[in-house]
Amino acid sequence: MLTYFARRLLTLIPMVIVISFLIYLGLELTPGDAVSHMVPPDALSMMDEERLQALRESLGLGKPFIVRYWIWITGVMQGEFGYSLAGGVPISKIFLDRLPATLELSFAALLISTVLGSILGTISALTRGSLTDQSLTVVGMLGVSIPEFFFGLVAILVFALNLNWFPVGGRILPGYDSFWDRLPHLVMPAMVLSIMMTAGVMRYARSSMLDALSRDFIRTARSKGMPEWRVNILHGFRVALTPVIVLIGFRLPVLIGGSVIIEQVFQWPGIGKEFVSAVRSQDYPLVMMVALFSVLAVLIASLIVDLLTAIIDPRVRLGE
Amino acid sequence: MANDVALTVKALKTYIYTNNRCNRALDGVSFEIRQGKTLCIVGESGCGKSVTAASIMQLLPTLSRIEEGEITYHGPDGPVRIDQLPRDGAKMRAIRGKEIAMIFQDPMTALNPVYSIGFQIKEMLKYHTGLGRSDRHSKAIDLLRSMGIPLPKKRVNEYPHLYSGGMRQRAMIAIGMSCNPRILIADEPTTALDVTIQAQIFELMDTLKRDHGTAIMLITHDMGVVAELADDVAVMYMGNIVEAGPVGKVLRNPVHPYTRALLDSIPVLGRGKDQEIKAIPGQTPDPYNRPKGCQFADRCAYRIGACDQMPDEMQVAPDHRVTCWRYEEFAADAAE
Repeated sequence: MLTYFARRLLTLIPMVIVISFLIYLGLELTPGDAVSHMVPPDALSMMDEERLQALRESLGLGKPFIVRYWIWITGVMQGEFGYSLAGGVPISKIFLDRLPATLELSFAALLISTVLGSILGTISALTRGSLTDQSLTVVGMLGVSIPEFFFGLVAILVFALNLNWFPVGGRILPGYDSFWDRLPHLVMPAMVLSIMMTAGVMRYARSSMLDALSRDFIRTARSKGMPEWRVNILHGFRVALTPVIVLIGFRLPVLIGGSVIIEQVFQWPGIGKEFVSAVRSQDYPLVMMVALFSVLAVLIASLIVDLLTAIIDPRVRLGE
Repeated sequence: MANDVALTVKALKTYIYTNNRCNRALDGVSFEIRQGKTLCIVGESGCGKSVTAASIMQLLPTLSRIEEGEITYHGPDGPVRIDQLPRDGAKMRAIRGKEIAMIFQDPMTALNPVYSIGFQIKEMLKYHTGLGRSDRHSKAIDLLRSMGIPLPKKRVNEYPHLYSGGMRQRAMIAIGMSCNPRILIADEPTTALDVTIQAQIFELMDTLKRDHGTAIMLITHDMGVVAELADDVAVMYMGNIVEAGPVGKVLRNPVHPYTRALLDSIPVLGRGKDQEIKAIPGQTPDPYNRPKGCQFADRCAYRIGACDQMPDEMQVAPDHRVTCWRYEEFAADAAE
């Protein structure tokens, strides 16, 4: 198990290197450079070429691309995230401020979609062909096909403005910052963000469960004389769980992408919202760091998924 | 005589429904399983062997049911009509596994890959015995040891994918035998295994039969296995038992043309490569479009006009029955 974990961890390193390189390359290819964003446009036209060149030299922009990448990535590894172009705030401070909110939202959505999706999918599989199954199928299709921001707007209209159950947006009211005070703020964004993933997990859990239930070992389990629910849960669901967890790992980027939009809709003060404004104002150092962090988040999450799969399915423990 | 009967099946009819059509998978099957004896059920694929086993265990697929007939289990507390018990009721579950256990064809798929072998044995003990946790563990180790699995203390915690095919089937048998069932149903237990392993598995089952007095119902299509292991034989064709009796009589003096054809289709050791193997002509009829009379008539070399009617069951001897109009001629022929 430990060797498996270590090996899996080692494969992350080349992936991080390649992806960070691609991110850097992508921004290199965008028009303009740091100087053109640092200096206001009207001042830019006034400055003569020599001073611009000197400014570029002082920022290290004259060095070859690979060298600049190397300086950047070694800096990041040492915790030097650089400064946001807008206001010159250290990016590490922005992360410290905003990351907890995003993690809270994503984690809540992940939890909801995993639990709700697997439970509904299992119910759907066990009542195959019934009215419950069919209506869950319809709900699942709607969940997958309607965009999240639409659900978000409808939820705000219905639950916040009409019914007044939850606040319209935001995360914390000043003076009310315990978890229970924050919870009402979290409910709507987390639910809306989880809808698409819940629907996906549900559909997948259903087919995975049906597959598991058709296997021979289910008949063996029945032949032992155990109650039907135990056959379904202990033997069916447990085996059906592995592919579902793998699917959840694959869908994580969707969740992160979705949180960018949902944070906008609900004015959730997270990294996603920051990311959108950074892209708008061409704040490239910040954009790069957010992109790198999302990649890291997905990679780490997929590592956790792999470990979970190894724990659940003994056949995966190839390292032994 | 009646005391040593472990299970009676009488005129059992099990139908399977698919796409609004009905397959009369079992069309009036009767037999007995005797305590401490092996009954072999032989027949081609699709003749209803496995459906018979599933009917007894009440493990039929959802869209099938026992329409008529009786399955009576003669347990320690008197006879129980299995066919009248609800499929997943507590009574049926108490019988399933404890009184009547079953081992399956393919040990590769019949064991759950995500649980250790020990867990899957202990599961059985948990439901049917009052043993505590540590007692169950040591009992599981004992069972594996008695099945001839090396290093049982280590092996008990291993997962099925680390077991070889033969070992998995031994583990299956360990699960089946864990509660000392009175009847063990084995549905082609060695079809998926090597020939050398086959012999070991059968030897194991024979030992269990002798040591525990377990009645065994062995489903097979291997006549060699029948000759070696069976006390009684029932030959099935298209949901009927066409011939049944003690192994000596049925194999030595087969009366039904189908039994004879089956025996003729086996190559005999020592006759060389060029011996003629008589395959049975034709194919088994479509179960949704059955012939009216004797199901075997279309493929039978001895067909007569009367075969358009389903023959009754005739007694060749008190313990030897056959379903064929011309049984007297064949019986006389066999006696010569």
